[in-house]
Amino acid sequence: MKRTVWQWLAVSSILVLFGAQAETRPQYGGTLHVEMRASMLSLDPADASADSFGRRGVISLLYDTLVSWDESGHLKPTLAESWQSSRGDQRWELHLRPGVKFQDGTPLTGEVAAASLRTANPSWNVSADANAVVIQLEAADPQLLAELALPRNAIAKRGKDPVGTGAFEVANWQPGKKLTLRANEECWRGRPFLDGVEIEMGQSFRDQATAFALHKAELIEVAPEQTHRMLQEERPLTSAAKIELLALVFRRDASTAEEKLLRQALVLSVDRAPIRSVLLQGAGEPTASVLPTWISGYGFVFSPDNDLAKARQLRSQVGANAAWTIGYDNTDALTRLVAERVALNTSDAGLSLRPTSANDTDLRVVRIPMASADPWVAFDEALKEAALASGKITGRSLEDLYTLEQTTLGSERVLPLLHLPASYAAADLKDWRLRVDGSWNLDAAWLEAPKP
Amino acid sequence: MSFRRKLLMVFAGTVFLSVAAVALLVQFLTRGAFERTENQRTAALVSQFQREFNRRGEEVGRRVQAIAATDALTRMATTLNGTPSNSAEYFDLARSMAESHQLDFLEFLDSRGTIISSAQWPAKFGYTDNAFENLVASNESGPFLMLEDLQDGTALGLFAMRVVQVGENPVYVLGGRRLDKGFLSALDLPPDMRVLLYQNRGEKFSPGLLISPSGNTSDSEHPAERLAPLIASAERYDQEISGVVKWNSDQSNDELFHAIPLKGVGKDHPLLAVLLVGNSRRSYVDLKRRILDSALLVGGGGTVLAILLSTWAAARVTRPVEQLAAAAQDVAAGNWNARVEVQGSDEVARLADSFNRMTEQLLGQKERLMQAERVAAWRELARRLAHELKNPLFPLQITVENLLRARELDPKGFDEIFRESSQTLLAEISNLKGIIGRFSEFSRMPQPQLQNVQVNDIVQGVAQLFQAQLQAPGRAAINCRLELDERLPIIAADPELLHRALSNLVLNAMDAMPNGGSLTLRTHQKDGAVVIEVADTGSGLTPEECERIFTPYYTSKQHGTGLGLAIVQSVISDHGGRISVKSEPGRGSTFVIELPNRLARPSSASNESREVLS
Repeated sequence: MKRTVWQWLAVSSILVLFGAQAETRPQYGGTLHVEMRASMLSLDPADASADSFGRRGVISLLYDTLVSWDESGHLKPTLAESWQSSRGDQRWELHLRPGVKFQDGTPLTGEVAAASLRTANPSWNVSADANAVVIQLEAADPQLLAELALPRNAIAKRGKDPVGTGAFEVANWQPGKKLTLRANEECWRGRPFLDGVEIEMGQSFRDQATAFALHKAELIEVAPEQTHRMLQEERPLTSAAKIELLALVFRRDASTAEEKLLRQALVLSVDRAPIRSVLLQGAGEPTASVLPTWISGYGFVFSPDNDLAKARQLRSQVGANAAWTIGYDNTDALTRLVAERVALNTSDAGLSLRPTSANDTDLRVVRIPMASADPWVAFDEALKEAALASGKITGRSLEDLYTLEQTTLGSERVLPLLHLPASYAAADLKDWRLRVDGSWNLDAAWLEAPKP
Repeated sequence: MSFRRKLLMVFAGTVFLSVAAVALLVQFLTRGAFERTENQRTAALVSQFQREFNRRGEEVGRRVQAIAATDALTRMATTLNGTPSNSAEYFDLARSMAESHQLDFLEFLDSRGTIISSAQWPAKFGYTDNAFENLVASNESGPFLMLEDLQDGTALGLFAMRVVQVGENPVYVLGGRRLDKGFLSALDLPPDMRVLLYQNRGEKFSPGLLISPSGNTSDSEHPAERLAPLIASAERYDQEISGVVKWNSDQSNDELFHAIPLKGVGKDHPLLAVLLVGNSRRSYVDLKRRILDSALLVGGGGTVLAILLSTWAAARVTRPVEQLAAAAQDVAAGNWNARVEVQGSDEVARLADSFNRMTEQLLGQKERLMQAERVAAWRELARRLAHELKNPLFPLQITVENLLRARELDPKGFDEIFRESSQTLLAEISNLKGIIGRFSEFSRMPQPQLQNVQVNDIVQGVAQLFQAQLQAPGRAAINCRLELDERLPIIAADPELLHRALSNLVLNAMDAMPNGGSLTLRTHQKDGAVVIEVADTGSGLTPEECERIFTPYYTSKQHGTGLGLAIVQSVISDHGGRISVKSEPGRGSTFVIELPNRLARPSSASNESREVLS
């Protein structure tokens, strides 16, 4: 009897195990409903006028890059099967993966890939060599591969509308509003599990949360300040690393020594701790560096602590008052709150800041998504996003980068406040991942309960 | 001005002044009535404002109380009593509660006045509310006014505060609603009235701080800056002030504003706002204009009517007076037979009757006087004739008696005596003929034949005529001097008579200067008349002689007839002029002739400008 019981228990356990495996087994079909805050007006990857995590995600569904980051933060071959550099990283030759076709059925060739890269990087000397792409640079660039992993360098075949090699192709496109994708049956990586993806654009965080609560969307973005509440409500929440920089950026350099002193007073007067604890409800991390520590490794060196007494002392050294305006994105409640809080903080130091949603302001509260896990590329892209640099920044050692960032911060053009995570809530969506650039990866995603 | 015109003016003026006085009185009473009405309307509106203020205040109080009574507030108070550092999770609570309870302002404050959550300024968490101490000290339970600090300035609101007491540390709920145009729109404004609210921020006047129900507080025709002095006065004196605001030159656009200070809570009761109640003066000005127009119309019409009626009435009243005046003028002109028709028995009739009797009496007296004068003249003439004739008759008588006596006593020498006596008789007879001739000449004095003459020419002619006699040998020389005004006008005169009159005066002057002297003939203008002066440096005249010198037959000379100057006066009088003399004994005499400055009327009978004075 005892043996029979054990045998029965064993059979039951095996059945339960198989059942559990059946529940987690990927299923084909279904349309995923996604909502995002950004409004994309173009699906061309080279159009990087407004970078955002949502845009990065959309581009990754439609296009592939030659190389890309894996989940562990290493570059991996993607459309490029292999590569080699010569002349001290000044000449790069990337060999394309054979058999890859665009969504219109045409094969991926070196010519098309080279043309795509030239469109995204007009200053590059890109040529095609058989089934390879050769990039000849004016100076050595050891970070070229990381740069090629940027969304804007995704390979697109540009005709009437750009087409890519991604897992999904465009079924319907209403610029700025809605994008409907269907599965690319001929995708070189294999057909995705999802039949399609419907992406609603321009949705505020609150609207996304509402749609999620009403089961109108399976994947939404979550504002950093909402993550605490979502967790309290035990909603399924996935957050990437602190990959978005919240910062104050001055429109121009300080023109006088007095103005520089006033800016230093401003830097010292801003108290980041209440911004994190109250406005962001504990999300994010106060910072005084552009790059998060997980990218640069030295971010902690810059102290984010405020010093109101010193700020007042600096302020008192300048007789004239600077009546600055601080701008914010009117559609982004967080930037507005931060602008108002900064204005309050600076008024404690005797400075005058007037928050406004106007564009032409002395300084702005900006969100800058980190573009890459590579510190040089990330720093370069961040400065470009903040309109602080126009030329390319390259280098080899971390010390050089630290010195460069220290110099940049010392110019008082940019005041880092916090590094924010990119957070998403997903329901009924399995096996989706977050890329290191904060965008979602739906290559292997599938819906647990497919919808017709 | 005639009596009738005076009467007309008095009548018309009386009517006009009466109408003007009535119009002014009506305007005064109207203004008083309007001011009372305005005050009543303003008081009613202020009362309505107060009621609305209280009603909304109670509503705010209920909502704040409802928020304070929610479980969320209780939980928050409980949490904060335990772990005050956990306030971060409530920072957004005020905003959501303010939305759900329809409040414009909502703040949760801890026991030290630190903002836990603020709906109107979410980023202000952790800061202390500036008004907290005042609010707690005043222990205000009802609604109160407060100026709330906002990110972009301040806003005036109606607030209420409640306390959530859980444990030792209370949580204060401070909520309110804006006192904005929505609040003002709820007021039921009478026609021509409006209400504005000015938020006092202790700074200079700013149109942006003015609130109106329509939202439009200032335009080109109603610049809000015009309200600044009134608001400043209300703020300075901290009491209700009234004043008329002139928007432009049109008085009907004026508005009477009452500025009422509104105060907040606290020990100083700060002045937070000024309520402006505007009352258009259009209806008042229109009514005033209508009254003025009516007064002008009635006054004008009444004046015209008064002129017509008073013309008629004055004519009735003044006609007898005018007749009396005309009769008096006739009498004055010599018509002693003038009479006035007597009608009725009033004062004017009695005056006319008296006038008639007076003229009758005057006429009788005149006739009697003329008779007496005529008798006196005849007596004088008889006396003069007797005197004149007696002088030659006496030598005649003596001569004839001498002849008779010589005929009887000395026949031999009779021839001689006869011849001498005959010469004497002839001389005296000649003398008698001369006397009779002069009398005859005086009686035959002709009427002047006027023609346009230059007086200077006549004067020069006389001087030229007598020049030889004045310088004649055997007598003391008389120096003749002419002082003639070259600008003398041409006048109407009889040149012959005027020449004769002047000749008489010159002869008299020569007689007055037997020892020589100076004769001056002078012409000039005076008061529009032409003046001729004949001045000598002779013996002069006594005042008595001056008075009587123009009397006929009066003479101061030994052998004068006393008719020379009478003839001169007659000639001058016939010319419409007059003659006078200025003289003192020993200092000479000056005869002054004044002739009217007029021209002769052209005569149809002759081409010459001659006429006869009647």
